[in-house]
Amino acid sequence: MAEEISVVVVDDHAIFRSGLRADLDHRITVLAEAATVEEAIAAIHQHRPRVVLLDVHLPGGIGGGGAEVIAGCTQLLGATSFLALSVSDSAEDVVTVIRAGARGYVTKTISGTEISAAVFRVASGDAVFSPRLAGFVLDAFGTAAVASVDSELDRLSARELEVMRLIARGYSYKEVARELFISIKTVETHVSAVLRKLQLSSRHELTRWAAERRLL
Amino acid sequence: MKAPLLRSNDAVIAGVCAGLAAHLGISIRATRIGMAALCLAGGAGVLLYGWLWLLVPTTEERRRRGTSSPGLRLGTTGLAGAAVDTAPEVTARARAGRREALIGAALLVVAAAFVAQQLGASIQWGWVLPVGAVAVGAVLAWSQIDESRRAGLMDRAGAIQAGGMARLILGLVLVMVGVLIMVSGSISWSLTWSTLLATGAVLGGVGLVLAPWALKFWKDLEAERAGRIRETERAEIAAHLHDSVLQTLALIQNRAGSEHDVVRLARAQERELRSWLYADTARQTGNFADRIKAVAAEIEDSYGHPVDVVSVGDIPMSPRQEVMAQAAREAVLNAAKHAGGTISVYLEAGPFGSEVFVRDRGRGFDVDAVPADRMGIRESLYNRMQRHGGTVIIRSSTEGTEVKLRMPEEKSGEPRG
Repeated sequence: MAEEISVVVVDDHAIFRSGLRADLDHRITVLAEAATVEEAIAAIHQHRPRVVLLDVHLPGGIGGGGAEVIAGCTQLLGATSFLALSVSDSAEDVVTVIRAGARGYVTKTISGTEISAAVFRVASGDAVFSPRLAGFVLDAFGTAAVASVDSELDRLSARELEVMRLIARGYSYKEVARELFISIKTVETHVSAVLRKLQLSSRHELTRWAAERRLL
Repeated sequence: MKAPLLRSNDAVIAGVCAGLAAHLGISIRATRIGMAALCLAGGAGVLLYGWLWLLVPTTEERRRRGTSSPGLRLGTTGLAGAAVDTAPEVTARARAGRREALIGAALLVVAAAFVAQQLGASIQWGWVLPVGAVAVGAVLAWSQIDESRRAGLMDRAGAIQAGGMARLILGLVLVMVGVLIMVSGSISWSLTWSTLLATGAVLGGVGLVLAPWALKFWKDLEAERAGRIRETERAEIAAHLHDSVLQTLALIQNRAGSEHDVVRLARAQERELRSWLYADTARQTGNFADRIKAVAAEIEDSYGHPVDVVSVGDIPMSPRQEVMAQAAREAVLNAAKHAGGTISVYLEAGPFGSEVFVRDRGRGFDVDAVPADRMGIRESLYNRMQRHGGTVIIRSSTEGTEVKLRMPEEKSGEPRG
């Protein structure tokens, strides 16, 4: 946690960018800011930051917003991690950007300390789940550990379900670890596994669920 | 290049001869004499004149329309070419003489008919009356419409293209023929088939003429309706933003001194706007999740502490779930009163029943040490939940308190009591 972390801030509101810059931990260096999809892709390729703080809704490009930025930087995905920021609670937005490859999702209302912690977590290769994202996951994968699903990718293990439930209840990773008598590292492993499933699952409920939410 | 066929401004009647002369490249005088001669030959000139008069645009009309549409094409006669510049004062003059010209033309027609009869042509007067009536009617109707609308009608009927023009003329001819047959059919009433034919021709003709107009009219109507719907939506959004966001912004400016008020107002407005933007009206069912969210919103408004609700699944309201909602309200209220800060509410609901977790980050309290006379926890939570078959677990530490409420739903087969 001691090392410096470089970030690029992508958001179309200058006020939010400067506010975020001021709020971030002193160990986090902001290399560049970008306001549109094109600017973001260019800045990320030029500066190669460790973490990109990425707004879900961005002007420019073909209208794909944050997910389009991630798609434009696929060859950097190993070295650069994306943390999605949004004011939107819509499941469609969250799931789209996560499935595009973001390592986490937080709402813009969280504090500077929390967002800095999320940046460190993403930088160390872990996933960041807000309570709401955990809620979406539980909603999409179902709250019961069903064994009769075809692919391992399409269901959550009992332990992963427990972790997701606690996060949805507002527990921090540390609190989850204490609650379940496991190490923080194990919690992180579970969360990363859930993130991978969320990204890769072809579970038809997931797509149908997202579509329903959007269309209804 | 030939001069385009246009009615000239140098007009005796309607400028047809002068225009024709310019177009054909012969002298105006020769054209007029030729036209007069044709008039004497059974009235052919009159027909030709009238036809050209109706269909050939004046230079003025042409100039007005010229840049946008290719102009009237008369079969192969060809009307292509650039618009001709004219002096604008001429139309007025042409229009002033129009009534006299019309009367003159009518007289000419009558005269021609008489002359023709004198020369030995047998004119069936029975035919002249209906033809005349139809012609006069058409002229009257046509002249009722102003020029731009006339152009619009021609445009809409597709009369600008040769095909559309042919269809228009064919339709009109069919109408006239039908009318004539019907009128003159009084001689042969017995021949039912001719009447049927006539009716068919009339209907076919009318349909042929009106179909494109009706279609265009319908499309216009659709476009207008769509526009109106968009306009209504825009007005609705504007009204909503005015009533909500602008009012709140004004309030925030008034209370800028009080951080607590500002946060509370901003939170309430955010929640309201969010539900307006993202909530699906179809999903606003009045079910359990909505009820809990409403409870959270109410307490957030009264105490100014953010209450975040994460919900998974849903269940219809029932007497038991109503008890659950009231207990949840009590738990959130306690958290807001005693702990403050952000309160997390997680609810999970399904056929099994419902579970609600209310978590705060306050200093915590000793659950067992709460005096028995404290009505809040004992009555509102424990007793109420237990009476209806639910359970309450409260865990509290220095890092916060979590209230876990669980209310199983009645099995559908279970007798109610």
